[in-house]
Parts: sequence; structure tokens; C-alpha cells
Amino acid sequence: MHTIGFLVNPIAGMGGAVGLKGTDGQVMEATRRGAVPKAGDRAREALVLLRVAPVHFLTCSGPMGENTLRESGITRYRVVYESPDVTSAKDTRNACRAFRDEGVELILFCGGDGTARDIYDVVTDTVPMLGIPAGVKMYSSVFAVNPEAAAGILLTYAESPVLHIRDAEVMDIDEDEYRRGNLRSSLAGYAKSPYLPGLVQGAKRVFEEQDDELAKEAIGRFMAEVMRGTPDTLYIIGPGSTTRAIADQLAVEKTVLGFDAFLDGKLVATDLNEKDMLALLAEGKRARLVISIIGAQGSVLGRGTQQVSPHVIRKIGIENIIVVATPHKLSETPVLFLDTGDRDLDGAFGSHLSVISGYHVAQRKRLGGPVTE
Amino acid sequence: MDTKINLSEEDMPKRWYNVMADLPSPLDPPLHPATGKPVTPDDLKPIFPMGLIQQEMSPDRFIDIPAEVRDILLLWRPSPLYRAQRLEKALKTPAKIYYKWEGVSPPGSHKPNTAVPQVYYNMKEGIERIATETGAGQWGSALAFATMLFEMQATIYMVRSSYSQKPYRKSMMNVWGAECIPSPSTKTNSGRAILEKYPDTPGSLGIAISEAVEDAATHPDTNYSLGSVLNHVCLHQTVIGLECREQLASVDDYPDLVIGCVGGGSNFAGISFPFAGDKMTGKHPDVDLIAVEPASCPTLTKGMFTYDFGDVAGLTPLLKMFTLGHDFIPPAMHAGGLRYHGDSPIVSRLVNDKVMRAVAYHQNEVFEAAQTFARSEGIIVAPETSHAVKAVIDEALKCRKTGEGKTILFNCSGHGNFDMSAYDAYYSGQMVDFEYPDALIKESLARLPKLG
Repeated sequence: MHTIGFLVNPIAGMGGAVGLKGTDGQVMEATRRGAVPKAGDRAREALVLLRVAPVHFLTCSGPMGENTLRESGITRYRVVYESPDVTSAKDTRNACRAFRDEGVELILFCGGDGTARDIYDVVTDTVPMLGIPAGVKMYSSVFAVNPEAAAGILLTYAESPVLHIRDAEVMDIDEDEYRRGNLRSSLAGYAKSPYLPGLVQGAKRVFEEQDDELAKEAIGRFMAEVMRGTPDTLYIIGPGSTTRAIADQLAVEKTVLGFDAFLDGKLVATDLNEKDMLALLAEGKRARLVISIIGAQGSVLGRGTQQVSPHVIRKIGIENIIVVATPHKLSETPVLFLDTGDRDLDGAFGSHLSVISGYHVAQRKRLGGPVTE
Repeated sequence: MDTKINLSEEDMPKRWYNVMADLPSPLDPPLHPATGKPVTPDDLKPIFPMGLIQQEMSPDRFIDIPAEVRDILLLWRPSPLYRAQRLEKALKTPAKIYYKWEGVSPPGSHKPNTAVPQVYYNMKEGIERIATETGAGQWGSALAFATMLFEMQATIYMVRSSYSQKPYRKSMMNVWGAECIPSPSTKTNSGRAILEKYPDTPGSLGIAISEAVEDAATHPDTNYSLGSVLNHVCLHQTVIGLECREQLASVDDYPDLVIGCVGGGSNFAGISFPFAGDKMTGKHPDVDLIAVEPASCPTLTKGMFTYDFGDVAGLTPLLKMFTLGHDFIPPAMHAGGLRYHGDSPIVSRLVNDKVMRAVAYHQNEVFEAAQTFARSEGIIVAPETSHAVKAVIDEALKCRKTGEGKTILFNCSGHGNFDMSAYDAYYSGQMVDFEYPDALIKESLARLPKLG
């Protein structure tokens, strides 16, 4: 029997239905505009499929979990957090502390980006998390494509002890700015999230998919060889576990969330901001930027990578930008996009991008416009 | 104008054409992997019959097709040449498009054109079993068909990704009495070595060749057979181009462009070598010969023209050819037959000498072209063949722009009736466009020690 924490953010998604672009601090307004809570319904679509699964749920009272479990016909649960009538981010965090203290194997939640961020704040990468999408914005990568897919991942896990875990970005989005039409996102961190190879790929999966970790290792090996083959070239390497695999191959420690600089295989600066990058670039060496795809929507530059300003990109040169991503990540993001804030610069990348996806292998991906809704 | 241009059985070629006779200088010889010296017929004897070794090295312009082989080829040859009038109309092109339809053979591709003579020469020299590799399964099924005809056994190492992707090709091999094994396998030293290093490998032609060569070299009753690349294979396929030339002459035409897809090069060699001969001897100096390859395995467009092994393990002689490196494992794309790191030494030489040229395309665009072809001419072509179709459509559309009524000939080398999973992947939007990042690969190799 597996022990899984389950919580619902009952207000998730309410703002979106009435044009509020997010629900943080807007529940009263959303309700006034006629929004009704719907996260519980979304969660139920997943839970009814888990009725007979060998899972014991730990949950929160009332609309934060218990109601949905009961309505789904699930009886194997225990309430470990008493939630108030009106819930907030604080309750999500408190519930996750209780889950963590009880030693859950995984947290299943229903909500949006804000909920993911609250959970991540508490458990970081120590407890895997999986989202049933119900929010207004889902830029983080911890969500299954729909409630059925979330149930599918859990059912497979329930039947076998092997859980495929990958690193998934948790994004931080400024909701006030978002309502004004500006998407300001930053990378909060990398959570652990379960996945089923192929589940997100649609009906036909012809080839066996490589394990995500093996793919990272292959990308790291190739890029480390490229770096060794290009001495006296400054490499600025962006955040993420795929790019970290390059540093692993060079036997160098790299920050997970920051941009670090390498020269001749050695780390020369960490956690660079825009000013630091420009100062390094002013030294006149040939420079390259190595980045991965950030978030679930296929952002390459702009979202979560504000340090790399249009000025920095122009200094480095588009031809010196190398994008890396695992085949699994690429299969989840059919279209990539750039949102540097400089339309001319975004346009200069053309209609397709070549993304290094393995050892001596790349994939050609279409570049589309940014997804703002 | 007839849709099909047929030859009588009596008009089927009685001789193969050997383009080596018309090269301005001899081909660089294959080198022994241990000594680095040119291989001798004796070096090749452990795995090939002398009849084929002689053809491999022959300077003669024409070589007779044995009567027993002709009798079998007549089961489907001469193959029809089609005028693709419906495709021309769909493209609104003034170009005349002809295709040689090799899908009429029992295994459904051009491959038995060489499988039959190869098995015949082995049978004549007392060999009882043939070991070979297959990528997409077209070669494996052709060899199974040929060994069945001569009452011999066949062991076929099938690239693992194709083995699971195309189970019906394996079934065909079984119907004709052959044994089909997914490669890399645990049956050979080379297969075990790869599995130990890369347990999840999709396999590759280079790995499967190592296994088949090892099998043949370690069993005295067994020889090896290769479905492409080698000179004698290209020689056997020239029946295609020789027939085309006669068929076109019967309607007073001659191609401006000759197009074929290239993995190891034999189907392209088959249709183009007679025309390459015409070009090199000055009879038709302007004929444009276009080899079409996948962007994910762009041997002719991005490889190096140098000596390399034909297989991953380094068991074969070193061949002077375009290569991406014998250890390159191409990504698991759908045109399994084009997943080869090297190329026919003759095709390579002719591309290097600019007698031929090469272009490369991505998977999605070639399937789009194949769909256009299926919806105009009706035939659902193999993923390999769809590369040629894409180049034909592009050339025909150029003609629409310029108003030129060029004659385009291409080798429609096989049907795709067992490739529906590939078409499904295309329609589901999940087909990946793999690329070969050549500039970065060159940089990554810059610090490696130079060999040789």
C-alpha cells in the first residue's frame, strides 16, 4: 500500500473563468463575478479512476481534499490537516508540512502554478509532486496533461514499485503584473515529479523512450566534448538539471538555478546577473550561451531567464546560443518560443530551432509565438 | 500517352552494367583492417563466394546475368515505368515525372534484384547458410525470399528499433523460412559488447553488420551477404536503370534529373549508374543525378570522404567513402533503411567528383510528400522512398516556377504497407525531426587523437 498526500486548492481556477488571470487575493471579486469553485470537480475526474488502487491517502478536511475523496468513492484516507472555511496559501503550506512529517511518498494536488509554488516552498525536491491541472496558469512542469493522465501515472506507480521521476521546473509568476498583461516569471526551483514515458505523447509511441537521466548524461557528454574542443571560449551555462549534466561531465559543481560561466572546462563565475554577464563579455573572448527549455510551455529565453537580456543575447550572438533538452522534455513541448522582450531579436531566431537532445543528435523544433493565456 | 511503359520479358537486361569501367581513374581499394593494405580476394574468401568477389573487383563494363538468376528475376521483372500524370496535375507542373516501380517484387522492394544473384553465387560454391543484417526489414525479407528459392538457410539480424516497429517484416522472413533476430543480440561477441555498454540502444545497421559478419566468419558453412554499399550489390541493381533507359527511349525521352533515396546507396546506384555512365562518357553530360538522404543521417551532405569501417565493431575492410564515423548511431527515425553511417564507395566517389549531388530532408516533410504521392498516384511508399518523392516534388515545383518541362525520373524503390506505424506517428503530430549537429560534432572531435 502506498501513502500519498492529497490536497485540493479549492479556489484554483476561479479567477480564470471570469477573466481575472489568477485567483491570488481575488476570491471575493471572482465570486462577485459569478465564479464557482471547480478544482474539486477536476480532482474528482482523477480520483474516481483510483478507487481500487492500493493507495492510502493522507489529506485535509473539507474542500481541501476530504470532500473530493469521499465524493469519488474512496474510503482509504486519513485527515492530517484541519483546514479552515476560507483557505489560503498558508493552508497549502501547512498541509504539506503535515504530509512531509507523515512521510508520504508523493503529493498529489489539484491547483495551479501558485499551488505548485506553495508546495515546493515546503518540500522542495525532497518529496515528489504531481499536479492535476485546475489553475488559471500552468507554466510549471509538475502538471500532468489532464486528470486522466495524472491517474494513469499513479496507477502505474501503484502497480509497480518503480516511479519514473524527473526534474520539473516550478515557476514563480507575478500575478499583479500578469493582470496588467505582463508575464513576469522566474524559476523558483526544480521539484521532483513522476511521469510515465510516453503518456504525454499521444496515442502512438513507436520507439522506446530513453530514460531521462540517460538522455541528460548523453547531452552532458556531448557538450563537454564540444567545450573541450573549443578552448578559450567563454561558456555561460543556464539553469536546470540538463545543463547541470554538462558540468557533471566536466567534474565541476554548478548552481542549479543560476547562470554560471566556464572557461577551458573550469568554473570562472557563478550566479551571474545581467551586469556580470556584460562585464565578462566585455573581455572580448568568443562566448556561447547554453540553455535549456524552461517551464511547461516551451520557453527558451525570456521566462525565468531575465538575466539574459536582449543586450546580452546580441553581445553573444544568436549563432552562439546552444539549446539543450531531453527527448522527453521536447515531446512535452511541441512548439518552443522566445519572449526576450525584444520582438526583433525574437524574430531573428527564424522559424525553427535546433535543440541538442542526445549524443551527436539534435531535434528541429518549431518556434511559435509566446503563450500568454 | 500510356500510364505504364512496359518491356517484354525478352527485353529484360541480360548483362549488368559496371560503372567502374567508366570512372576516369580506378576506385580507391578497400583496405585490410589489420594491415592497412589493399584487400586481396583471399582476404574476402572467409565471408564471400569467389563469384561475388570477382564482381566486386571487376574492371569489365558488362557482366552477364546467369540464366538461373534471370529466370527468377522474371517473376517480377522487367518492372513497370509509370508516368506520374496525376502527380504532375496535382503539382501543376510542366515537368514530366516518371517513376520506376520496384514494389512489384514479392518482398515489395528493389532488394531481391541483388538478393537472388548473391544467394545464387553462394549456392554454386556449396554454402548452406547466409547471415545478414537488415534495417527496415526490406533487405532481410528479400534475402529470406532468395534463400528459400535456392533451398538454403538464412539468419537475419534485424535492427532492434525496426524489429519492434515492423513486426510484419519479421513475419515475412519467417514465412520464407528464415530466422530473424533483433540486433544487438546476445548471440555474438559484438552484440554482447554493445548491449553491455548501451542496454537501451535502438540498434543500428552498423551494429547488425558486425553481428552478421561475425556469425559468417565463425561458421564454415555460412557466408555473409550485404544488401547495399558494396560494388557487386550496386552492380546487380543496375537492371533498374538499364530498363528505365530502354523504357524512356521507347517514348523518345531521356531524363534531365534522376533521383533516388540513399542509405547504403544501392537503389540509387541501380537507377543512376547507367545514366552516370552516359554522363561520364559524354553522351549526356548534363543529366543531373540527385541522391536524397535523411537530415538525421546526412552522410553525403555532411560526412567526410575518407577511409572508414563499414560496421561498428571494425570487422569489415576499410572503405573509402563518405562517413559520419563508424561509431555514429543514427537516431531512431522511421526510414530504418537509411540509418547507415557510411555509403557506397562508388556513389561516394561520384558525389565527391561532382558527377552526382546530394540533398537532405527532415522526416516530417518527406512524409508530407509521401502523402501527396499516395493521394495522387495511389501508392503508399516506404519511408525510405518518401525521401526521393520529396526531392522529386521540390524539383517539379521548381519547374512550375521556371516553366521548364524537365523530365524527372525517380526510383520508387518500395511500398510502405508495413510502415503504417510511421504514417500514424506522422498524423499524430509526434514525428520528431532529428538533426545532425555537424558543426558541434566537428568541434567535439577536434581534441580527439588522430588515427592513422
